[in-house]
Amino acid sequence: MTTVDVPPPVEVARTASTSPSSRGRGASSRQRRTAWLMVAPAGLHALYWIALPVLATFVLSMTNYSVLAPLRFVGLGNFVKSFEDPIFRTSIWHTVVYTFFTVPVSMALAVFLAVLLNQQIRARAWYRAAVFLPQVTATVAVATVWYQIYDPYSGLANKLLSFLGITGPAWLADPSYALSAVIVMGVWQGIGIKMIIYLAALQNLPDELFEAAELDGANAWQRFRRITLPMLRPATLFVGVVSIISAFQAFDQVYVLTRGGPANATTMMTYEVYKNAFATFQMGMACAKSVVLFVFLFGLTLLNRKLTGGDEDE
Amino acid sequence: MSERAAGSRNRLTPRLRVATHLLLALTALAMVAPFIWMALTSFKTDRDIATFPPTWLPSSWRLANYTDALSVAPFGIYFRNSLIISVGHVVINLVLASLAGFALARYRFRGREAVFLGFIAMLMIPTYTKIVPQFLIAKTMPLFGGNDWLGSGGSGWVNTWWGLIIPGAVTPFAVFLFRQFYLSIPRELEDAARIDGLGEWSIWARIASPLIKPAFVTAGLLTFQESFNNFLWPLLITTDDNKRVVQLGLTVLKESGEGFTTQWNLLMAGTAMASLPMIVLFLLTQRYFVQGLATTGIK
Repeated sequence: MTTVDVPPPVEVARTASTSPSSRGRGASSRQRRTAWLMVAPAGLHALYWIALPVLATFVLSMTNYSVLAPLRFVGLGNFVKSFEDPIFRTSIWHTVVYTFFTVPVSMALAVFLAVLLNQQIRARAWYRAAVFLPQVTATVAVATVWYQIYDPYSGLANKLLSFLGITGPAWLADPSYALSAVIVMGVWQGIGIKMIIYLAALQNLPDELFEAAELDGANAWQRFRRITLPMLRPATLFVGVVSIISAFQAFDQVYVLTRGGPANATTMMTYEVYKNAFATFQMGMACAKSVVLFVFLFGLTLLNRKLTGGDEDE
Repeated sequence: MSERAAGSRNRLTPRLRVATHLLLALTALAMVAPFIWMALTSFKTDRDIATFPPTWLPSSWRLANYTDALSVAPFGIYFRNSLIISVGHVVINLVLASLAGFALARYRFRGREAVFLGFIAMLMIPTYTKIVPQFLIAKTMPLFGGNDWLGSGGSGWVNTWWGLIIPGAVTPFAVFLFRQFYLSIPRELEDAARIDGLGEWSIWARIASPLIKPAFVTAGLLTFQESFNNFLWPLLITTDDNKRVVQLGLTVLKESGEGFTTQWNLLMAGTAMASLPMIVLFLLTQRYFVQGLATTGIK
């Protein structure tokens, strides 16, 4: 820590005299300028690559913008057309079904695993790593593995079923099984991150509560039901919001496993946005569908807040 | 997250202990099984693949599947590209996000609250609410890729390093993470350094940042993971093999076999190569991953 540049003595004196109580109050104008310079690159990047695109999504959703035709304002036309399109309506339904099955199921499994892992047992770091592994690996890579697992002839799924004397279907090629197959992979991959967050929350709970409950004769299930779960409410709110947002945006696995098929049996809102924007180049329509997706997410986040009553706990 | 295991909740009876281990071991097996299956399949011979029902183990371990996969698709180039992009993202994000986080934590300037709330709001924006215009902005980048100054006529940043690296280079999440960490360290050292005549930039670089090394490790790892595993953006912004990344290359390898019989052994060898770097990195740095995801999630 050698001196680099010596600031004017007045400023040294002022900083020194105010520092114990100031906590950033009374920053000099030079410091304020430096602060702005420090925030500027990240701030401008976010404005240009996040704020501007979001704004553009909403504006473009009301135009017929495509690479081919001149730009024209069409009001809510894209939204009307979207909802008249049976494939988009199906994709909304699939997205909701996918979210409905993946989020609560993996959350329940995750909280259960977290409670088991929050005990002093040998090899817990290894168990934790195993559960978290699917989350660390790229979705494209794990989806490719599941693509092979679901292969009717050489795949693991039907091999396991054959032990039970069941001849498994062609999972991804059969419209009545394809969505379930995508959901199973979603549950498997989604447990890890939820478990980690629950585990962290569990470790912040005070031991005294559990000791008192145990003295009062509460058994393990009662302690879980009456103490652990209520105390985990903020974590549940957080996990719920994050999981819903990511489930609604599932894309990679659909792209790898089914390309939305067979016969649109697994297409999701994200895949419809992708098709509109990058296969048929209807950018305006794609933006309108993104806005629909956004409205869903916004509504679900608010609903989740209300249901778990999370606000006051945070 | 500390490795502390809760005190009173641990008086397990031997029977409960066995049950816990059994449940956890079964779950762990279910989570790892697809990876084991991937590894086994990646060593199988073509004849093993054609056998029905499939066998567990390869009849002979065929290592050549890996070199064959490398010849079907240029994985070397894919890996190089993935590394350039991921390392680029990590470096840019660590510098710019920590600077912003430091300023937000340490200086009181007009509009600070608004800037901070702005970052939080952008943190919560779903990918699909911005992805289409992001592509359009990249494609119409003025004076790049044959574009005129109005951004038309050429391909802009499409299929360029600029387009692959810049749009996702700084994440509001990292800004938020750094701010929280800078807030948690005492100010006295910085004040003392100021009295010693150190400038604000030096204070950020030499006093404050060394105190929050774990934040840099965590943010760096999470950035690397997100970047290395990203699929959608490279899918949209690249048009040829020279710029493709590993995850994209994997789908190319998968589709190259479609319509014929899929060469599962080669595909699984490619998948193993695409996932191994992240798996190894995770196993080596588990603590930071878990800490980062957990603490920023809750607090």
